[in-house]
Amino acid sequence: MLGLTSGRIAVAVLVVVALLAVLGPLLAPADPIAQSANTLAGPSGQHWLGTDYLGRDVFSRLLEGSRVSVTGALEVALVALAAGTVPGILSVYLGRAFEWAALRLADTLIALPFLLFAVAVTALLGNGITQAMVVTGVLVSPLFFRVSRAATLTVARSQYVEAALIAGASLGSIVRRHVWGKVLPAIAVAFAQTVGVGFIIVSSLTFLGIGVQPPAPTWGGLLASDLGYLNFQPWAPVVPALLIMATVWAANLLADAIRDVSGPAGHRVPAGGTA
Amino acid sequence: MNVLEVSGLEVRYGHGARRKRALAGVDLTVERGEIVGVIGETGSGKSTLARTVLGLVRPSAGRIVLGGQDVTGYRARQWRALRRRGIVQYVFQDPLRSLDPELSIADSLAEPLLVRGIARAEAVNRAEEYLSRVRLDADLLPRLPGELSGGQRQRVTIARALLTEPELVLLDEPVSALDAANRVQVLRILQDLRESGVALVFISHDLGSVAGVADRIAVLSEGALVETGTARQIVATPSHPYTRLLVSSAPTLRAAPADRARREELRAALLNS
Amino acid sequence: MTSTIEPGTGAPVLSVRDLHIRRTADGADLVRGIGFDLSPGGVVGIVGESGSGKTLTCRAALGVLPAGCTVAGGRVHVAGLDLATLGAAELTQLRGATISAVFQDPASYLNPSIPVGAQVAEVVRVKKGLRRRDARRDAAELLAAVRLRSPGLVYGQYPHELSGGMLQRVLIATAIAAEPRVLIADEATTALDVTVQAEILDLLADLRERTGLALVVVSHDLAVVAQLCDEVLVMRAGEVVEQGPAERVLQHPEHEYTRLLVDEHERYGLDRFLAPAEAGA
Repeated sequence: MLGLTSGRIAVAVLVVVALLAVLGPLLAPADPIAQSANTLAGPSGQHWLGTDYLGRDVFSRLLEGSRVSVTGALEVALVALAAGTVPGILSVYLGRAFEWAALRLADTLIALPFLLFAVAVTALLGNGITQAMVVTGVLVSPLFFRVSRAATLTVARSQYVEAALIAGASLGSIVRRHVWGKVLPAIAVAFAQTVGVGFIIVSSLTFLGIGVQPPAPTWGGLLASDLGYLNFQPWAPVVPALLIMATVWAANLLADAIRDVSGPAGHRVPAGGTA
Repeated sequence: MNVLEVSGLEVRYGHGARRKRALAGVDLTVERGEIVGVIGETGSGKSTLARTVLGLVRPSAGRIVLGGQDVTGYRARQWRALRRRGIVQYVFQDPLRSLDPELSIADSLAEPLLVRGIARAEAVNRAEEYLSRVRLDADLLPRLPGELSGGQRQRVTIARALLTEPELVLLDEPVSALDAANRVQVLRILQDLRESGVALVFISHDLGSVAGVADRIAVLSEGALVETGTARQIVATPSHPYTRLLVSSAPTLRAAPADRARREELRAALLNS
Repeated sequence: MTSTIEPGTGAPVLSVRDLHIRRTADGADLVRGIGFDLSPGGVVGIVGESGSGKTLTCRAALGVLPAGCTVAGGRVHVAGLDLATLGAAELTQLRGATISAVFQDPASYLNPSIPVGAQVAEVVRVKKGLRRRDARRDAAELLAAVRLRSPGLVYGQYPHELSGGMLQRVLIATAIAAEPRVLIADEATTALDVTVQAEILDLLADLRERTGLALVVVSHDLAVVAQLCDEVLVMRAGEVVEQGPAERVLQHPEHEYTRLLVDEHERYGLDRFLAPAEAGA
C-alpha cells in the first residue's frame, strides 16, 4: 500500500529530525558559537561540514539550530490545534450567534498573510520566536476549525449518536465510542500539515534574521549567511536548504499518508443496499 | 395499565412570525401489550410526536406520562437517568444510518447495556439472545452494519431496542425501506413482541403496513389527531374526511374504478374546509 | 421524422420481444427474455424489487441504456420503428415526441435556478419547434392539464418552492409536452405521500382516458400497479416470473413470488379488512 510505505519514510525523517533536536547539543562535536581562525574551511575529519565565515563548526551549528526549528513548528501546530479545534466543535453546539461569529472569524484569519503578520508581531512584541509562532498558529487555526467542525457536524447529525443518546449514554461516552475515532484522522492530517507550515515559517523568519539573536544558530540563519559566501563555498547553502526541504516534505508526506490510510475508513460506504 | 399517556401535547418551532405549530393538542394513550399505529403524511408532526415523547423535543404545552411517571418537566439529567433504565426505546426508519458504521453488530447491540454498567461479556451474551428473537444468527455479531442486508440491519436495530426490556418501543417507519419479504418478516416480529407484553407505537405514512398489525390507529394531520379507532374502524368505516381520503388513496389489490371519483370529492371537501 | 403509418389503431405503440440486456463488463445477462405489447390507451404494469431489471427494461425502451449495458438479444419497437435500426439523432427525435418517461426523484430532473414554467416552455420550444411566445402559452396550458392547483403561480416558481407531488406533476407536464404516445412511469410515485401518490395515479389514468396515452407503470408495489393496469409482469432477478391480465394475476397468482406479494397485502395490508365481495367490482 502506497500510503503505508510513504508514511513510514515520512515518519523516519521526522523522527531523525526530532532526535537531532533533542540530542543535537549532546552530539555536537564542537561548541556551535566558538569562533576560530580556521574560517570557511571545507569538510574535514575535524569539521565534517566545514566551518563558516567566523570559523564556527557548521555541523554543530546545524544540530543546535534544529532545536529552534522543531520547537517552533510544534508551537505553531499546537497553538493551531487548540485555537481551531475547540471553537470548531463548539460552533456546532453554542447557537447561531457564536456559529456566525466563529465562521466569519475563521474566514478572516484565513485571508491574512501569516508570514507578514508573524514579521509584524515580532517587530511589535520584541524579537522573540515564540510570539511569532503563536501568531502563526492562530492564523493557520482555521484549518483545524474547519476539519473539526465538519467532523462534529456529521457526527452530531447522525442517527447513531441520537440512538446512543436515547439509550442513555452520556456525552463523554458518546464522544469516546462514536466520535473520537472518526475525528482523530482528520485532525492528525491537519496537524502534520501545520507542522510543515511551522517549519517553513520558522525557517523564513530566521532566514530574515527575525526572532533569534545572532550568535545562536538556526537553519534559516545558516542558509542566509552561507548565501553570502557563495563565491567561496558554493555547496554550503545546500545542507541547511536540504534539511528544511526534507523536513517540510516529510510533514506533508505524512499528512497525505494519514489521509490515504484513514480516508477509506472515515468514508466507508457500506456495500449492501436494501436487499 | 397505560404505558404512555400524552395529553394536550403542543410543540412549536421557530420564533416570532415564523413560529409554527408542529403539534396542536395531541391526546394519546398506549396500554401494555398493545400496538398503536400513528398515521401521518409529510409535515403531519408524527416524528415530532415521537421525538417529544423521547425527550428530544421540549413541548410548549401538555403532559407526557411514561410508565406512570410524569416526565413533562424533566431536565437533561433526569432524562438521561430515565433512558438508562431503558423503559422507552426507539427504532429509526433507516437502520444503516442509525448504526455506527465502524462498530461491530455486537458493539452496537451492547451499547444500551454498557451505559447501564453491565459488563461487556454479559452484554454480548444478551445481544446474542436477542438476535435470535428477531430471527438472526449469532454469527452476525462480529460483522459491520455495511455487511448486512437492509432487512437484517432493521432487525438488528429492533433487537437493540428490545435488549433493555423496555415497556414501550416507538418505531418510526420501520418497514418503509424494506422489500416485501423483509417487510412481512419485521411485521411478524412486531406481532410476536405484542405477545411478550411490550407496548409498540408504530409510526408510518403508510396505512397499509400499519393496518396489518396495529390494534388501534391514530390519524395525524397537520399536527392534530383527526381520528382514533380500532384498525378495522379506521379502514372499513373512517369518519373524518381526511381519514376517508387516506383510506381510499392507499393502494390495494381490490381497487374499484369508482374510487377515483370519490377521492376527487374528498379532496375538494378537504380543500374547502 | 421518419414515421411509418400504423396498419391499424390496435397496432402496439410499444412492443418488446424477448429482450435480453447484458452487462458488458462480465457478460452477465441482467434482463432475460422480457416481452410485452402495449396498444394505444393500454396500461402495462411491471412489478419487482430494485435490481429485478424493471428499470433497465424501461431504459431499453427509451433507447438510453446506461453505459456498460447493451441489448444482447430481442427487439424493441416504438410506434412500429425498430430501435436497433435508429441512429442517435432519430432516437433523440423519438424520445419525447413518441415515447417519454418520468422517474422517482423529480427534483433531480429540474434545474434548481430556473423557474419551472420556463423549463417546461423550453422543452415545448425544442420538441415542437414553436416560437418562444407560443411555447410559453403551451407550457402554461400543460401545467393546467396536469391539474396543478394554481398553474399561473407555479409557472414562475422555482423547484425548491414546490412539493414532491407538484414537482412530479411538472415533470409529467414536460414528459407529455410533445404529445407522446407512450409514457413510462418508473417508480414515479414511490417517494410521495399516499394521498399524493393517489393524485398522480389518478392524473395518469385521466390522461390515458382523455388522450389515449399508453402507459407503462413500474413499481415495487403490486397494489400501485393494480390500480391502473390491464396487463401485469412480475419480475425477479432479471426474469419475468409471472405475466398475464391484471385480474388473473391478482386473484390467482401462480408463481410463489407473486403469491408472497399478494399475501403481504391480504394479511398485512388494507385488503385484510376489505370484504372479498368487493373484489372484481
